[in-house]
Amino acid sequence: MKELRKKPVETPIIAVTGGKGGTGKSTVAVNLAAGLSARGLKVMLVDVDVDGPSCATLLGVRLEGGEEVKTFVPKIEASKCTGCRRCVEICPEHALVGLQGQVPKLFEELCSGCKACQLVCEPKAIENGWKKIGNIYTHRTNGLGLIVGELRPTEPRSPVMARATVMKALEELKTHKYDVAILDTAPGVHNAVAQPLWVADLALAVTEPTPLGTHDLNFILDLARELGLPAEVVLNKADIPGGLREEALRLARERGVEVVAEIPLDTELLRSYMAGEPLVKVNPASPAGRALGALIQKIESRLKGGEV
Amino acid sequence: MKEIVVASGKGGVGKTTVASSLAVYLAKNGKRVYTADVDVDAPDLLLALGGGKETLFSMEVQASKKAKVDQEKCVGCWRCVEICPFGAMLKSPSGKAAVATLMCEGCGVCKLVCPADAITVEKAETGRITIERTKYGFECVTGKLKLGEHNSGLLVSHIRNLARRKAQDAGCKAVIVDAAPGIGCPVIASVTGADYVIAVTEPTPAAKRNFERLSRVVKHFQVPAGVVINMAGYSKDFESALRKWAVGELGFQFLGEVPVDREVVKALVQMKPIIDFNPEAEASKALLEIAKRVESEVL
Repeated sequence: MKELRKKPVETPIIAVTGGKGGTGKSTVAVNLAAGLSARGLKVMLVDVDVDGPSCATLLGVRLEGGEEVKTFVPKIEASKCTGCRRCVEICPEHALVGLQGQVPKLFEELCSGCKACQLVCEPKAIENGWKKIGNIYTHRTNGLGLIVGELRPTEPRSPVMARATVMKALEELKTHKYDVAILDTAPGVHNAVAQPLWVADLALAVTEPTPLGTHDLNFILDLARELGLPAEVVLNKADIPGGLREEALRLARERGVEVVAEIPLDTELLRSYMAGEPLVKVNPASPAGRALGALIQKIESRLKGGEV
Repeated sequence: MKEIVVASGKGGVGKTTVASSLAVYLAKNGKRVYTADVDVDAPDLLLALGGGKETLFSMEVQASKKAKVDQEKCVGCWRCVEICPFGAMLKSPSGKAAVATLMCEGCGVCKLVCPADAITVEKAETGRITIERTKYGFECVTGKLKLGEHNSGLLVSHIRNLARRKAQDAGCKAVIVDAAPGIGCPVIASVTGADYVIAVTEPTPAAKRNFERLSRVVKHFQVPAGVVINMAGYSKDFESALRKWAVGELGFQFLGEVPVDREVVKALVQMKPIIDFNPEAEASKALLEIAKRVESEVL
């Protein structure tokens, strides 16, 4: 699959990911974006965790006026339908149900929007209907662009929403000049995580030194390898009392990935998290602030050297 | 028998800690219990219970399909590339269409539009389901999704069905299900038809926002639900407001608060539920109260 990945835009794209939930992906993404932006780079931050987006909250930004994302659902014109059941038979999600001679009934929540039904309908009875699966918000502040994809609750198609968010970001990157894009992904290693990783140049895998953190880190490193995507590790909560720092470092070494930052536990980080302000902005001298600052510097110099 | 699902909008707020403690409390109090981990991307419940002592069952699940292009037959017309709704059909360097299998949802529209009959859609391995016996005596069904696979909703349903059947056969009083973070397909597949949802959240604005999103899913599927506020203690005002809002506005039952406690991490590292690792810890006392409340009000 690696050989199919092509760089979609010139702008370097960094995906912040990590396998397990709650390891600090959004914290790293938001601080990295704010820090690079403060250093004069034009940064676009994209929240692709469409199930549970947090970037706007962590930046203290109120999202307004998003554009709706809609996907296809079949709209069956009853007068044209011959009740042949071709659409019922072809539907891979079994979203269409009906007996011979009847107009099929649609179970909208099952429909993936693939249009197979429309393609096989001989009397052309299936028209384009649309259902709203979420919103994409675009927000620009000085030097920092923010795009947030948000799945509509009760809607199951996270991968489709994630893809729409990535596409929106690429479109923005093609029409506006940015120095770097940072994509914050969902936890896990499923399709909605693969969508942003597919377009990325570098994955930062944020993990924590616990058995669960390292267990799940392995999965995300596997996914990155599968995609031929260079990955590096950010060890968050590195000095957690009783934690497995040494083991996490050993795992990274064994997997041949660099640990680019170790972020210590820091109540200042929690305070900034609660306040909706990036730590590197409000308290860069705190222990976690310094660790994040070092990461930002490292990434900045690599961006300037064209090494991402 | 009651099926209780532990869920959260945001990841890393303590689902597995709550689920493992509840299961161990019930087992130690003579209630037959069954457990299931449906976070098929990051299945951690078994680890939190000290790992499997004995593998009782293991099977591969083929729930998804993947498109495949016959390179000989492909004429390079790109119709499949244009129509694929998931961006999985791509132009390969050889001038033929190729499938990025990680993103293929197996819908088969590519096959429908191919004029050269070059595309087939074949069954693929979705994941694996395993049943392990834990050192606490009860069993745990775990599923693991193959990398980048999409049909996790189906795998979740398989695991839940298996767990319910096994639990029924063994005369269990409860099935405790540890769900994935988020609100998408796997979470919907986890909460629909359950008897009760325990939503775990933490007193931060980001977690609150994603708890609210989860509440809309739970409400839509009409599952009775309670909330646990984990990692409490750093902002009393925020916590009491969160609690009032969860009960008053969202209609959740309040199950309790678990304080921030360093013992929780030590327990995780030792791969033991905190209530077993250190029953005297503040977090253990709170989790015990929560488990008792769930026992008396749900079971």
